[in-house]
Amino acid sequence: MDTKVKRGKVPPARDIGRETRLELYRLQLELRYCEKRAYDLFLQNLIKGTSHLSLGQEAIAAAFGVAMKPADWTFCTYRGHAHTLARGASMTGVLGELMGRQCGLLGGKGGSMHLTDVTKGAMGSYAIIGAHLPVAAGAAWSAQYRGTDQVAVCFFGDGTTNIGAFHEALNFAAVWKLPVVYVCENNLYMEYTPIGQVTAVEHPAADRASAYGLPSINVDGNDADEVYKVAVEAMDKARAGGGPSLIEAKTYRHSGHSRADPAKYRPEGELDRWLKRDPLALYRERLLGLGTVEATLKEMEAEAMRKVDEATATAKASPVPSVDDIEKNVWADGGAAWRN
Amino acid sequence: MDVIMPQLGETVAEGVVTKWHKKVGDAVKADETLFDVETDKVSTEIPAPATGVIAEIIVQEGITAKVGARLAVIRESGAKAAPESREGGTRASAAPAVAKSKVAASAVPAAAPRGFLPAADPGQRLSPVVRRLVAEHQLNPAEIRGSGRDGRITREDVLSHIGRRGAGEARTPERPRHDVAGETRKPLNAVRKRTRDHMAHSWTTTPHVVQAVEADFSRVEQVRRSAGAAWKSREGFALTYLPFIAHAVASALGEFPLLNASLDGDDLVLHRRINLGIAVDLNFEGLMVPVVKDASGKPLPELARTINDLAQRARSSKLRPDDVTGGTYTISNNGAFGTLFTASIINPPQVAVLSTDAVRKKPVVLEGPEGDCVAIRPVGILAQSFDHRAVDGAYAAAFLRELKTIIESRDWQQALGA
Amino acid sequence: MAELTYRDAVAAGIAQEMERDENVVFLGEDVAAAGGVFKATVGLLEKFGPKRVRDCPISEQAIVGAAMGAAMTGLRPIAEIMFSDFFAVCWDIVANEIAKMRYMTNGQIQLPLVIRTANGAGSRFGAQHSQSVENWAMAVPGLKVVAPAFPADVKGLLAAAVRDPDPVLFFEQKSLYPMKGEVPDGECVDQLGKAKVLRQGSDCTIVALAAMVHRSLAAADMLEKEHGISATVIDVRSLVPLDTQTILGEVVKTGRLVTVEENPRLCGWGAEIASIVADECFWDLDGPIVRITTPHVPLPSADLLEDNTIPSVERIVREVREKID
Repeated sequence: MDTKVKRGKVPPARDIGRETRLELYRLQLELRYCEKRAYDLFLQNLIKGTSHLSLGQEAIAAAFGVAMKPADWTFCTYRGHAHTLARGASMTGVLGELMGRQCGLLGGKGGSMHLTDVTKGAMGSYAIIGAHLPVAAGAAWSAQYRGTDQVAVCFFGDGTTNIGAFHEALNFAAVWKLPVVYVCENNLYMEYTPIGQVTAVEHPAADRASAYGLPSINVDGNDADEVYKVAVEAMDKARAGGGPSLIEAKTYRHSGHSRADPAKYRPEGELDRWLKRDPLALYRERLLGLGTVEATLKEMEAEAMRKVDEATATAKASPVPSVDDIEKNVWADGGAAWRN
Repeated sequence: MDVIMPQLGETVAEGVVTKWHKKVGDAVKADETLFDVETDKVSTEIPAPATGVIAEIIVQEGITAKVGARLAVIRESGAKAAPESREGGTRASAAPAVAKSKVAASAVPAAAPRGFLPAADPGQRLSPVVRRLVAEHQLNPAEIRGSGRDGRITREDVLSHIGRRGAGEARTPERPRHDVAGETRKPLNAVRKRTRDHMAHSWTTTPHVVQAVEADFSRVEQVRRSAGAAWKSREGFALTYLPFIAHAVASALGEFPLLNASLDGDDLVLHRRINLGIAVDLNFEGLMVPVVKDASGKPLPELARTINDLAQRARSSKLRPDDVTGGTYTISNNGAFGTLFTASIINPPQVAVLSTDAVRKKPVVLEGPEGDCVAIRPVGILAQSFDHRAVDGAYAAAFLRELKTIIESRDWQQALGA
Repeated sequence: MAELTYRDAVAAGIAQEMERDENVVFLGEDVAAAGGVFKATVGLLEKFGPKRVRDCPISEQAIVGAAMGAAMTGLRPIAEIMFSDFFAVCWDIVANEIAKMRYMTNGQIQLPLVIRTANGAGSRFGAQHSQSVENWAMAVPGLKVVAPAFPADVKGLLAAAVRDPDPVLFFEQKSLYPMKGEVPDGECVDQLGKAKVLRQGSDCTIVALAAMVHRSLAAADMLEKEHGISATVIDVRSLVPLDTQTILGEVVKTGRLVTVEENPRLCGWGAEIASIVADECFWDLDGPIVRITTPHVPLPSADLLEDNTIPSVERIVREVREKID
């Protein structure tokens, strides 16, 4: 896969420390197992509506999750369970929200597509394609204005690169030199349609970067180390006042666009090829190759599963929200009154 | 005082002064015939409104003048100065009332001059606030002068009326009471007063025509007899003829919507809902007309229960304001006293009222293929008084025929669900 | 007291708040160097510098989106949408994101932002630059909606809007920009959700907004002097939150409601007030509710046509005379 990364102060592969690597693996495990659990809970009819799963795309969320500082902000799409968890949001809160319980991150008010935890800098998952790109630019503007070194990281899919807000946001961020990192997770499909059929260029994000005066950055989205390197570089650049970055990370989703989608539009063999490049499997192999023992990995896997099981049990036991919550929190005063 | 052209009929706007019986300088006594007026229908003698001397004749013979126009001036005898012409309206209103009796004596047909200028026709729309105030203060809209557009009663009109009424009531004790031996003065209660005003208004503004049919209540009677006992023990009240008649009326009104209507100026307002007023006598102390709303949508058992409930509550003074408003047609049931026939007075702003009287066994002639024979059947007269401004006799009669047909041929067993 | 034009009151209000709180920032198209296409923000760049007063590309989604992101992360931005018609270009950000984010996150996200815009007709700009769209905003839960009629209200309500912790859409009437009015000296902070009774009468209660307030006052004078009809006039000022108590209290006194609305007929702001009055004041109404609005058409541009489309003083007088007795 392409790993064209702009040369600069990039730590070579061997400079990613062992601790960081274990952290990357741990996080990918938690993201995978939790998302898989969401898949199962949907089949058990404990999760209603719809869910957009990021199975197979964990490396990107995990890599940025490890690279980001606590004061940085994340903006992601409705396919945002992993990105929200990767900032340290609780699994109970995520699963609880998917199941519409009081313990949910949003008290059952927002649902799967709007996971948010401002205490962890997870500033929202957004369900209208492209809307959060300018919002991320605004957060970056706030950091620039107040003179902090905070960075906004904004995740979106390949389909987003064709909507108006994408172009407005990139131009705006570039002109104002805002500390925002735009990350396009190219999983090859705009909902049900191959992205190549609806995009004028081959790399939907990277090939557009020059339109905003930005360098073209392509990275293997299934290699957590590669993504991590690119992430650190882009965020360092932003913190130093170097302005925005646009990164295209190539990846693949194992499931359909949403739970309702069996993804029959994928050509024969494509899924199998990509399953062989499962980011978790790749990373596990790499760790073994670099000297981590099997027992450690197994322990990490068991621990991740245990956390998911515990969160599932807690969330299941949480009551449903009160109907009194319906008219709460429209306004800052906690209410919904529009008249006296 | 001014002599003005009186109100000569609902649709009459002007008349021709055909003859002056007095000339300027002549003395005249109140109620003495002063002049003749001709409208397109009839010639009428108009009496003088006051005693005095003819000071001026303004409109000469042969000239057409509008209703309310000044025709002459009488210089009244006595200390009283001539009042302003503004009051001429009220004074002159006394004249046509007298003229009415004179005209009646000379047997002049329908275009007899009406009484006073009606202050407000209750057939017109009352705004929500007016309705509320009228209900709260137990007023009769017919008594309230309307100063709004097209003579409608405004909120201010009601409030002024309440203010004046309060003052008026304070003056009452000063009226002289003549306690002549053998007489007892019984003050009218609120219900009686309302009835008095309402009936007088209806009578003087609405041309009533009465028609009747005789209906054979055999089928009704059959069901009453077979289901009556079970009904009484289950429901706690007897199954009378009234619910059956009401059920039939509701159906018939569906076919004859012009009778389920109100007159409003130049429009006949057809009511979508059939809300039947049922006249209930309050132990000879007065008459209430609670309303069964949406009677056409109610099956017979429900109709019977609703009527019974309303009657009970009327007698125990437990009716709510909603129970007595919104009626579109009224049934007056007099049968309990054995009367043959009643020509009821229409309940304005409705355009018709049905009177039901005693149902009793009578010999009737049945026509058969082998010839006629006589049978004994329970028979009752249904008489409808209708407003001839709204509908004509043929239509009203057709309604009665439909009503009779329903009573005589509906499957009452099925209707009762018995 | 000073006499300020409506447009100067805008700049004065922004300046007052930017002085008071360094987190207040201002962005829009041609707002800084040019002082705004309507000259409503002259002097702000000079006073507060290019870090706080920023010109943007023609990117309505980016402008309001950035305002949203900044508000979420500690700032109190004022964004300008040049013509209120352009809200349609960024309505996703306004109605789907800004209006809903607090609710969806159960109170986690804070959005203390103001979007001010030039609204309304009378300037012969044609159908896409003359609309009154405050009723669009009123229809979306989660947005506060304000539309001042006087310079003093501009300054005071803008200050209140900036200090409000919730998103406020601030509709300035472009045809009122040159209008002069008394504005108190010193700090000026008004209250959202408060209507003002400008004139007391006894025959009907006229409820109006923005430019229609002035026309209603002129009409009320004519009605009184020439036709003996005495009208109360209420300036609604704030559609959300709505001061229903003042409106209902005044309607009860006269028994008649008349609304004068610049928006097109269907679903105008007056329809909601008519509905509330019909519900809660029904037994005090002495006649049908009258709505005087622009007909349901896009606005024509020729001066004679435009003037005969939006409610004029003559039309207000005529309709009140025809329908109020």
